[in-house]
Amino acid sequence: MTVSVMVVDDHPIWRDGVARDLGEHGFEVRATAPDGDAAVRIARTVRPDVVLMDLNLGNTSGVQATRSITGELPGTRVLVLSASGEHSDVLEAVKAGASGYLVKSASVPELVDAVRRTAAGDTVFTAGLAGLVLGEYRRMADAPAEGEPPPRLTERETEVLRQVAKGLTARQIADRLVISHRTVENHVQSTLRKLHLHNRVELARYAIEHGLDAEED
Amino acid sequence: MTGRDPATPLWWGTIALRVVTLVFAAGVVLVHRTEYEREWLAWTALAAMTAWTVCTSLSFSREALRLRSLVLADVAVTCAIMLTSPLVLSDAQYAETAPLITTVWAAVPPLVAGARFGATGGVLAGLVVAVSTGVARLGVDLDVARDGVLLTASGLLIGVTATTARRSQTALAQAMRTEAANAERERLARSIHDSVLQVLARVRRRGGELGGEAAELARLAGEQEIALRALVTTGSGRSSGGGSTDLRSALQLLATSRVQVSAPAGEVPLPEGTVTELVAVAREALSNVDEHAGPTARAWVLLEDLGEEIVVTIRDDGPGIAPGRLELAQSHGRLGVAQSIRGRVAELGGTSTLETAPGAGTEWEIRVPRRPERSRRAGSGR
Repeated sequence: MTVSVMVVDDHPIWRDGVARDLGEHGFEVRATAPDGDAAVRIARTVRPDVVLMDLNLGNTSGVQATRSITGELPGTRVLVLSASGEHSDVLEAVKAGASGYLVKSASVPELVDAVRRTAAGDTVFTAGLAGLVLGEYRRMADAPAEGEPPPRLTERETEVLRQVAKGLTARQIADRLVISHRTVENHVQSTLRKLHLHNRVELARYAIEHGLDAEED
Repeated sequence: MTGRDPATPLWWGTIALRVVTLVFAAGVVLVHRTEYEREWLAWTALAAMTAWTVCTSLSFSREALRLRSLVLADVAVTCAIMLTSPLVLSDAQYAETAPLITTVWAAVPPLVAGARFGATGGVLAGLVVAVSTGVARLGVDLDVARDGVLLTASGLLIGVTATTARRSQTALAQAMRTEAANAERERLARSIHDSVLQVLARVRRRGGELGGEAAELARLAGEQEIALRALVTTGSGRSSGGGSTDLRSALQLLATSRVQVSAPAGEVPLPEGTVTELVAVAREALSNVDEHAGPTARAWVLLEDLGEEIVVTIRDDGPGIAPGRLELAQSHGRLGVAQSIRGRVAELGGTSTLETAPGAGTEWEIRVPRRPERSRRAGSGR
């Protein structure tokens, strides 16, 4: 089965380069988009399996586009392909529903592998993303609770995330913790799923509160 | 003096006060005119006070004319006029402690001196006027002492206020400069991101695919890309004030094509000294990777903020160290990198563990308490 992709990046040189690389490796590049709004619009029509999303999109937000696409199109997964160093953006995109993150400095084989895994429903975690997610869970645990209690990581999930953040591969982690490769994957996915869920509940709560406020006025 | 003096409102305050007190003094002279020993001298003194009020008001309303000499002259002139009181006032007036010829008008120069010279100037001018009051009153009594306290205190207060206002303005100017610098930095970062980085990234990828000499060029381009990214995305050494700075952005500068840095999204503020030491420790551990783990080894730095404790982990996928080799080096009296790292971490009140095995790489875990004393106490309670 051919995996269909869409590339969102505001830089033509980069966008076309990635699209060509993926085309050469057997992916069906259904569309490219230069900004977030166009990405959401086009994704609705072409419904790709995977959207490669840059977060630095000039005036429109890649995070917002990620939220819209993952919210509206359950069959489409978003893989953030962004420059390293955009820490808070990457975290926001992952909370908004992206199922992985790859730095732009990744090699073509790494990119190809990441897109395949994303299409198969796996998460693509770099060490950097694991560090961000770990930090986010700790931040939520320390922040004053307001509304929905924040999700927590189990000890095993924390342990797995720490190993990912230290650069170990899923196989190495499985060996170290004496668990199966699949279990490692499940733990990592679970950390993201909890974040997504919490994020959606919080957004809904926010919307309801503000909607009710507006009615009272 | 450049720019607007932030103490300018104080100067306008002294001008207004001098005019109001002059009116008061004129009223006093008008009421007491028949009781004076020498009424003509009272009117003359009042004329002098009026002239001096006009003169100082005109000068002090302009920033360029708030001269030191004029402020000193203000104290001198006021005291001189005040010292005519024994000639003006009658014995009967002295007996009932009638007001001196200058009345509260004489309270203004200490305020002016405070605005011009700060607290010390204000206090000194207050003391001079207080002494002059004592002389004019022909002796020190409770009234003179009370006036003295009020004069020096007001000089002190205005002095402190003026100094504080000037300091805040300096701080504000500094903050605005920093902000301007940051804005410029962001603009540069955007423009670099939009042009140079994209091209470098493309060169790196394409060159890597072509292989051979092109791959070597691609590797160079990749290194520059990462260095440039680190440069434009992290505010290096940005101090968040109070002697604390962000460990996260400091560690992020260590990232290269072979070293990846994982960290939380937010800042990890720590005392500057601790940040410097932890970065040095990470650098040492990484330099060890370069030296012993070979040119193909990769390394990861993980920063975790556990609240009370900061954890920095440095791992590489090199060949690792055979058991006993470190101990051997130490027993031979060679101060290796390991000992240096242990020493630095111990200085910070933290702990360091090294895990290594042949073929499994090395992994340093550095744990440092956020505040050394406090967490040691908390630790012993646990």
